[in-house]
Amino acid sequence: MNSVETQAPGGVIIKTVTGSLTGKLIMLAVFVILAILPFVLPDKFWIRQVNQIMIYALLAMSLDVLLGYTGLLSFMHNAYLGIGAYITGLFLIHVAPESLWLAMAVGAVCTTLIALPVGWVQVRTGGLAFALLTLAFGMMFYTVAWKWYDVTGGDDGLMGLPQPDITLFGLKLASSGDSTAMYMFTLAILVMCFLFTWRVIHSPLGAVLEAIRENEQRAAFVGINVRAYKLIGWMLACGLAGIAGSVYILFRGYTGPGVMGAFEGAGVLMMVLLGGMGTLWGPLIGAAIFIIMKDQLSSFTEDWEIFVGIIVILLVLFLPRGVAGLPDLFRRGKAE
Amino acid sequence: MGFIATTVDIILNSLVLGGVLLIVSVGLNIIYGLNRVMNLAHGSLYALGAFAGYTIVAVGANYFIALLLAPIVVGVVGLVIERILIRPMRQRHMIYTLILTYGLMFVMDGLLKYFWGVETRFIHLPEFMRQTVSLGPVSYPVFRLVILIGIAAVVAALMLLLGRTRLGINMRAASDIPEMVSSCGINVRGVQISAFVLGCMLAGTAGVLAGPLFTVFPDMGHEMLISSFVVVVIGGLGSLRGAIVAALLVGFVQTLAEFFITDLAMVMVYMLMALILVFKPLGILGEGKFE
Repeated sequence: MNSVETQAPGGVIIKTVTGSLTGKLIMLAVFVILAILPFVLPDKFWIRQVNQIMIYALLAMSLDVLLGYTGLLSFMHNAYLGIGAYITGLFLIHVAPESLWLAMAVGAVCTTLIALPVGWVQVRTGGLAFALLTLAFGMMFYTVAWKWYDVTGGDDGLMGLPQPDITLFGLKLASSGDSTAMYMFTLAILVMCFLFTWRVIHSPLGAVLEAIRENEQRAAFVGINVRAYKLIGWMLACGLAGIAGSVYILFRGYTGPGVMGAFEGAGVLMMVLLGGMGTLWGPLIGAAIFIIMKDQLSSFTEDWEIFVGIIVILLVLFLPRGVAGLPDLFRRGKAE
Repeated sequence: MGFIATTVDIILNSLVLGGVLLIVSVGLNIIYGLNRVMNLAHGSLYALGAFAGYTIVAVGANYFIALLLAPIVVGVVGLVIERILIRPMRQRHMIYTLILTYGLMFVMDGLLKYFWGVETRFIHLPEFMRQTVSLGPVSYPVFRLVILIGIAAVVAALMLLLGRTRLGINMRAASDIPEMVSSCGINVRGVQISAFVLGCMLAGTAGVLAGPLFTVFPDMGHEMLISSFVVVVIGGLGSLRGAIVAALLVGFVQTLAEFFITDLAMVMVYMLMALILVFKPLGILGEGKFE
């Protein structure tokens, strides 16, 4: 661990810890393995499985920006994945069936814009009310997706999605219908978003967010506009979730309101907890563990809900720092 | 139905809905006010109350006996939850308690489905409650009136408890300055635990009262939990009077919205909440007014 002093906006000197070398190495290894994986995996099923894991990893990472770095809890971050997916899908269906990048950009930007007024209301209240409001607004978006039949297709979801080609500077690379191509596309987006978020988190802006997490009052005393920075953190997290959503709908070719439900939201929260919040790479691993575990468990029990709950409770009680906290646990022999 | 009849109908319905919301939210606020724990499993406790009431009636007891017994069942469950799960969390950051009770909510909902199944249940009411009574121009179901009276009785009992008994006075004091109360030789931890149990019992009571209104099903707690958050945030976290005002307001707006636009009624309620929070970020009466 090395620590540097950074100049935060407003002329405040804040000491921050840059990412540990271990974290960087783990991430590099993970991404290399992920790039090799589609050529090693036996069949399409597993490629799609890992693809899904990567999409949720992106979502979990975006929640970590909020939970681990800004100290704000969002119970239904998946709602913003849903919004991104619906908007991208609607754009592809009704406006431009061929332009993948434009659709993704529209999805991400619109999600951020929808998150703006919601976040503005949320940051005006305290930390606890913020968390309660994420649940209320999340349920509101879920209700809209579920009941606004004319636009969202209600229970049936958004269907008849075109499969645009993956292009780069006008060059056609592959069809998004091909599972290996989609896999590589998802991986590329994940790596880009990860590097972007990593950069932001280790910039002065990230230091300000961490200052708010550590002590909101003191952060305000040194001249940080707490509400404005909370809102920035919120919108960053929601924008990333929106990108995850647009990849999600390209990958699935379909989306329904179910993806925005409260239970899915708990899953995302659990991915972050499992991996360890405030590490950025932890949630990526958490997402993998969670999705594999969910598949295994749901193959022999129908009461998956109970197990999710029990695991969440056990994690909070005994392993609050997740997988990322394991090395410390062994080193010091205690949890915190 | 004439205009007056509709108006009376809407007013009575919003009082019933607001009343149920009120009991749930006040329970949530009593727990928060003394324990600084926002219990996300509160909606599941409410559902548990409804199912306990259903079973007690199905076994052959009277609805009113269920109204007395079910809250006790929920209270015992609440005590167990406090002892096992909430106690180790008292020294930790609030976020952990939120996530923990969120997990608890899924466990409880899953258990409800496991024991009672997913189908919708109907609490069997005594004969006289299944009739309608004419109030001037409008004929109104008797059971709704009984529930309204039940809500009023619960609120009155709660006011007596908080205002007149030693436990209630201790609770109000401990919500304000626990250290001071503790140094007076009062067992603050005991007061906090009884507040937790009281809050759970209120959720259970609301469940039994709401059972005949909205029918009984495992996920009934979700909607109630979200609605009670809205109430608690609008009224101010931990503020009892705020919760009462906000519950009646939300009940009224939701009933009106359901009457006119049906499907997206809850969206109207969220809009109302957003609007109030723009002007009063800490709620109508501000945070933490435990009175």
